[in-house]
Amino acid sequence: MTSPFWRATWAVAAKDLKIEWRTKTAFASSIVFAILVLAVMYFARDPTVVSSLDIAPGALWVTFTFAAMLGLNRAFLLEKENSALDGVLLSPIPPTAIFAGKLLGNLVFVGVVELVSVPLFVLFYDLPILRQIPALAGVIAMATLAFVAVGTLLSSMVVRTRFAELMLPILLLPFLIPPIVGAVQLTSRILAGRPLSDLVGWLKLLGSFDIIFVILCFLLFEATLEE
Amino acid sequence: MTRRDRAVALARRGQILTGLALVGLAGVYVRALMFTPIERTQGPAQKIFYVHAPVAWAALLAFSIAGILSLIYLWIRDRKLDTIAAASAEVGIAFSVAMLTTGPIWGKPIWGTWWSWDARLTSTLFIFLLFVGYLVLRGAITDPETRARYSAVIGIMALVLVPFIHMTVYLFRTLHPEPVLMKPSEPSLPGVMLVTLLCSMAVFTTLYVSFLMQRYALSVLRDVREEEAANAIP
Amino acid sequence: MVSRSLVAARNLTRRFGHRVVVRDVTLEVAGGETVLLIGHNGAGKTTLIRLLAGLLKPTAGQVSCSGTLGMVAHSSMLYDALTARENLAFYARLYGVRDRGRADELLERMGLAPHANRRVAAYSRGMVQRLAIARALLPDPTALLLDEPLTGLDEAASRIVREVLSDLRARECAVIIATHQLMEIVDLATAVGFLVNGRLAAVEPIAGREAAAIMDRYRELARND
Repeated sequence: MTSPFWRATWAVAAKDLKIEWRTKTAFASSIVFAILVLAVMYFARDPTVVSSLDIAPGALWVTFTFAAMLGLNRAFLLEKENSALDGVLLSPIPPTAIFAGKLLGNLVFVGVVELVSVPLFVLFYDLPILRQIPALAGVIAMATLAFVAVGTLLSSMVVRTRFAELMLPILLLPFLIPPIVGAVQLTSRILAGRPLSDLVGWLKLLGSFDIIFVILCFLLFEATLEE
Repeated sequence: MTRRDRAVALARRGQILTGLALVGLAGVYVRALMFTPIERTQGPAQKIFYVHAPVAWAALLAFSIAGILSLIYLWIRDRKLDTIAAASAEVGIAFSVAMLTTGPIWGKPIWGTWWSWDARLTSTLFIFLLFVGYLVLRGAITDPETRARYSAVIGIMALVLVPFIHMTVYLFRTLHPEPVLMKPSEPSLPGVMLVTLLCSMAVFTTLYVSFLMQRYALSVLRDVREEEAANAIP
Repeated sequence: MVSRSLVAARNLTRRFGHRVVVRDVTLEVAGGETVLLIGHNGAGKTTLIRLLAGLLKPTAGQVSCSGTLGMVAHSSMLYDALTARENLAFYARLYGVRDRGRADELLERMGLAPHANRRVAAYSRGMVQRLAIARALLPDPTALLLDEPLTGLDEAASRIVREVLSDLRARECAVIIATHQLMEIVDLATAVGFLVNGRLAAVEPIAGREAAAIMDRYRELARND
């Protein structure tokens, strides 16, 4: 892991996380938002009509994606003040390392929000989750990679516009359909204890989306930078 | 001929083509309503199919062209490609709205509901939203170079996304199959109906091309005016 | 003996939409030369600097630069939430500068050592500019581009910047400075380029001229355009 690409990626990600740790605003907002969404969705159903298992997966993924979208823009916004990105671009690091670093930073950010949300989620919906933790963790990881990768790429464009906070969801939502629908289906089936054969179709969809879009985002990143 | 003259000429040809297409459309209406038999299971409501399917096809064509031209722009960097792509996206949005309204109008008498998460309708809805986002992004960027580049990025991502959306809707659908009896009917059409359908598709394709010509001409004229304004600054 | 040019531009043109901001600029700067770029606001100074730095792509023409290039612009390119030391540490990682002492050395030289562990958000304009220069000098660049480096600086900061510039010239670094504050900087330069409406109307050695004489020459060139 000592190639220049990885060193640069680490440097960018570490710097981003250090800055986020200092200010903590985006992070706090996301967590509070996640808790609120979870609570609202929980109370907004009629428990005699809708069972936990039916609504829980949808609630979980709506929570994750909306809370995450609050935080995705910060990665590039912090480069905007003082034109800090210019300084990074002047350095010899490969531009794709910038994307990798931002992606890593965003993944950690969203990962922490998810880590806080899942126990709350289990608590609220009283879910039998213990045996399925590895499978669930896998699905959460795959779906998160999908929407954070696309979200990071889109945010590098959207931060230049005036309504960045609004533009990101507008552009990102269509890209969420395959991974989030897949994630909800998989979460629902895993919680219901369904066999692997029931999961394969959606797993393939999620997996191929991850591979194709992560590569595509890396390839397209430079086009969002140059002037 | 100056750039402005060429654009005006293009717009004029586009208008004529639209006129012809509208005449053709009237002909298709006549044929569909009077000379094409009524479908047995769905009744007269099925006739909306002769508008709905071609308009869906035209929307898909418009969006595909927008996506492909965006891809080529990133490679060749000729701004004309971006201008045509944007014009095509706008025309595609217009056709999508037509499709998304005729769909429910057709669906209501047949399915009993306005919207049923039908595979094709749903896919088109998401693609429509994607291109609305595309146009919103374009509206938010003033520098033409950056705008073209960003549009190309979204265009390429959209192109790659479309098969995934289809796949998602298809997988979802196998859980919630469409009403088996009253499924909006498809290809295996008897001769007479097929001919009506094909005529209608030709008319709508022509309509797409004519709208594209006029929208592109409008973009060029706006650009010419901006150029003149920029050159007028001492 | 002719020094190899460290920064070179050939027929550089840059347009934004329909406006041509930099028009057919050809310029070569060798090591040891300090070239001033003067021109009115909107004459293309900042755009030209960004083109030379490689931050903007030219519409036509080429830029070439041998060795490492540093830049000090109007924006500091620093992170307000980090301390001076942390900012420099980050840049050291980007450039692969292993020598830990280098950052401290630069902070010392810029007179920022007592403030090294304060966040940049708390710095005055003069301190920010000095830190920005430290950042630019970190990888020991062979060429340095500066855009209005003395604007808004207090006495102490100005003095330090001038010292740095004359030291760079002594070390055979190529320096290009876009400025409209001719008086404070003319004695440090070896040549001056006159930018009129995006074109480089002329590049001439200072030849001992004073600021006033150079401004007259600028007005003459602007009239003839």
